[in-house]
Amino acid sequence: MKLLALGVDHRSAPTTVREALAFNEGRVDEGLDALARAFPGGEFVILSTCNRVEIYAGGGDDETPEVDDLTAFLADFHGVAPESFAGHLVGHHDAGAVGHLFRVAASLESLVLGEGQILGQTREAYRAAVARKTVGPILHSVFQTALRVGKLVREKTGMDQGKLSVASVAVDLACEVFDTFADKTVLVIGAGKMGDLTLQHLKSLKPGRILITNRNPERAEAAANRWRGEAVPFDRLGQALVDADLVISTTAADEPIVTFEQYARAQRARRNRLALILDIAIPRDFDPKIGDLDQVTLYNVDDLRAHVEQNLKRRQKGIDPALLIIERETAACFATVQHQAAAGKVLQQLGNRADQIRQRELESLFASLSQLSDSDREAIARMAARLQNQFLHHPRAAVRSAVAEADPNHPHPLLSAVRHLFGLADGSSKSPIQKAT
Amino acid sequence: MVDAETSVEGCNRMEHIQVLCFAGTYGLALAAELARGAVQSPWRWRLTLALTVLGWCVQTVYLANLSMVGSWHLPINSAFESVMALSWVVALVGVYLMVQWPRRIAVGVFVLPLVLGLICAAEWFVPQTPDWVAGGGMVAFWGTVHGLFLLFGAVCASLAVVSGLMYLAQSRRLKSKSPGDFGFALPSLERSERFNRGAIVGSFALLTVGLLIGALLGVATRNPDASPAQAIHWNDPKVLSALGMWLVFAVLLHARFRPSMRGRVVTILTIVAFAFLVFTWVGVEALRLPTAHGGSSGAGGPP
Repeated sequence: MKLLALGVDHRSAPTTVREALAFNEGRVDEGLDALARAFPGGEFVILSTCNRVEIYAGGGDDETPEVDDLTAFLADFHGVAPESFAGHLVGHHDAGAVGHLFRVAASLESLVLGEGQILGQTREAYRAAVARKTVGPILHSVFQTALRVGKLVREKTGMDQGKLSVASVAVDLACEVFDTFADKTVLVIGAGKMGDLTLQHLKSLKPGRILITNRNPERAEAAANRWRGEAVPFDRLGQALVDADLVISTTAADEPIVTFEQYARAQRARRNRLALILDIAIPRDFDPKIGDLDQVTLYNVDDLRAHVEQNLKRRQKGIDPALLIIERETAACFATVQHQAAAGKVLQQLGNRADQIRQRELESLFASLSQLSDSDREAIARMAARLQNQFLHHPRAAVRSAVAEADPNHPHPLLSAVRHLFGLADGSSKSPIQKAT
Repeated sequence: MVDAETSVEGCNRMEHIQVLCFAGTYGLALAAELARGAVQSPWRWRLTLALTVLGWCVQTVYLANLSMVGSWHLPINSAFESVMALSWVVALVGVYLMVQWPRRIAVGVFVLPLVLGLICAAEWFVPQTPDWVAGGGMVAFWGTVHGLFLLFGAVCASLAVVSGLMYLAQSRRLKSKSPGDFGFALPSLERSERFNRGAIVGSFALLTVGLLIGALLGVATRNPDASPAQAIHWNDPKVLSALGMWLVFAVLLHARFRPSMRGRVVTILTIVAFAFLVFTWVGVEALRLPTAHGGSSGAGGPP
C-alpha cells in the first residue's frame, strides 16, 4: 500500500506557478476523472485553494502513481512544461503524506495560521472526490480522520480564536459593543482603501444603514454606490455623527477632524446611546479624550494592531500542542490504514481462493452429469455460491472486526491465522509498521 | 424534653448538611467556570452546567422539604425561606442563560457567586424567624401573593445586578483596550444594557404591586384590639425600609430612562438598589429590629 501527497503551496511556489497548476472551479471534477483514467485502481483527491494545489494519491503498490507520473499528468492536464513547476513541487510519502494532510486541515500550513477556511476546503475536496468515485478505503479513512483532527486541533488549542487583520478585529470589536446590527447606522469618514476593507468585513454583520462622507463628494458617491449606502456631504458630518452608532474614520487629514467638544455635543444629541469609533486614520481623526466619554468606545489603529498581535501570539502558542496531537493521530491513522490494506488483501485472497475451488468443483460436476438442464445447472451454481458466502461470512466478519481493534504497532494474529488455515500466500512477511519505517 | 431537644438539634444539623450539599455543588460549578482561562475543552462547559443543574435539583428537594414542614406552604414564609427561594430562582435563570447564550460567555462567573452569596446570607445571617403568614384563609392567600410578587421583584433586581456587573466588566475591558484580560468572554455592552433595563422595569413593577398588596393587607387586617407590638405602624422598621427601597427603585427607573445617566451611573445605582432590597428583606430580621411584619412578633420583639 502506498500514499503520496504532491503539490505546491505558498511557501514552495510563487503565485504564477500556483495559478498555472490550479484546478479552478469545475476543473477539479475533470482532473479527478482524468486521474482515474490515467491511473486505474488508484485513489485520488485534489485540494486546490488560493494558496495550495495538491494531489493526494493512494492505493496498492502497483496502482499508486509515482512523483514523476503525477508531474507528467499535471504538465499534460494544464498544458504547461514540467520544468516550469517541477522544482517547486513538494512530495510527502506514506505516513508523511498523512501527517502533511493533518497539518493542512489543522491550518498549520496555512498562510494565516489557524484560519478556518482550509478545513471547509479540505471537506469540499474530499466530497468532490467521493462524488466522482475516485476515493477508496485508504483515502476515505485518511480524509475522514483529517477532518476530525482539524476540528480537534482547533478545539484543543484555540488556534482559530482571535482575528489576524485590523479590519476583522474591527468586526470582533463591533460584536463586543453591539448585539444587533439591523438597527444600527455605520458612518465611514473618508472613502479610501482601508474604509473599503473594513466595510467589506462589517457588511457581514448586515448593518441597517451605511453613511459615507468625504471631502470629495464624487468619491463619497462612488463609495456609497459600491456599498449600497448613502453619501453625506462633508459639511453635514455633525449630523451624521449623531445618526451613527459605529464610526470608521480613515481620512488623510493632518489634524483631528472631530474634537472632544464636538463629539460630546453629538453624544448628547444621540441621547447617550452606545457608540463605537474606529479611528484607523494616521494621524488620528478623533480627539483621544473622546474615548473617556461614558457609552463611547474609541479605538485607533495602534489599539487594533495590538489586538492583532495578541491574537497571533495566542495562536502561535497552540502550535506545539497541535503538532503533538497530529503526531499521535498520524501514527494511529497510518497504522489503521495499513491494517485495513493487509486485511483487504487477505479477504481478497480468501474470496479468490473460494471462487476458484467453487468454479473447479462445479465444472467437474457438470462434466460428469451432462444430462443436467441449464436451469438445473444455474440452480446448483447459485446454491454453491450461497454455500460459499455463508461459509465465509464469519471469517470475513472476524477479520474486519480484528482490523478495527488492532494494536497500531502490531499486525493482528488473526490475519496470519486465516492465511495459515486457508492456505493463502503470505503477501506481507513484514509487519505493517516495519514497512512504514 | 431532652429527647425533643436532641431531635430538633439533629434536624438542624441535617438541614445544614443539606444546604452544604447544594452550596458545595454550586461552589464546584463556580470553580469549573473559573477554570475557563486554563481549560479550553467543551467538557469544562458541560461540567459547569451539569454541576449547576445538580445543585439546583438538590436545592429543589430541600425547598420541597421546607414547604412540607407543618402545613403545606410555598417556601417564602420567612426571611430564611424566601432568600433560599430567591437563590433557587436565580440559579434556574443562570442555567437558562448558560444554555441560551453562546458558551463562550461566562454567565456562571456572575450568577453563581450571587447564588452562593444569597445561600450563605440565609444560612448564616438570617435568623429562623417565625412564619410571616400564619394560619389560612384570605390573609394567608394575599400574604402569599404579596410574598410572590416581592420574590419575583427580587429575582429581577438580582438579574439587574448581574447584568449591570457584566456591563461594568465589559466596559472596563473595552476602555482598557487589553483583549482577553479576564480569560473569559462577556456579553456585548448592548445586550447587558438591554437585559439590565428590562430587569429594572420588571423589578420596579413587581415590587410596587407586592408592596401595595402588603400595605393593603396591613390596613385590612389591622385589629383595633391588638396590642401596639402586634400592629404594623408606618414607623415600623420594615415599612420604613420598604418605602426607602421603593423610592430608590423609582430613582433607578427614572435614571434608566434619562439619557445622561445611561451606562455606569445606572449600573452603580442598580447595585445600591439591590443592597437596599436585601436590607429590607433580611436586614430587619438579621439586625433583630422590632417589627410586627407578617403578624409575627418579630425577631427583636417580645415572644
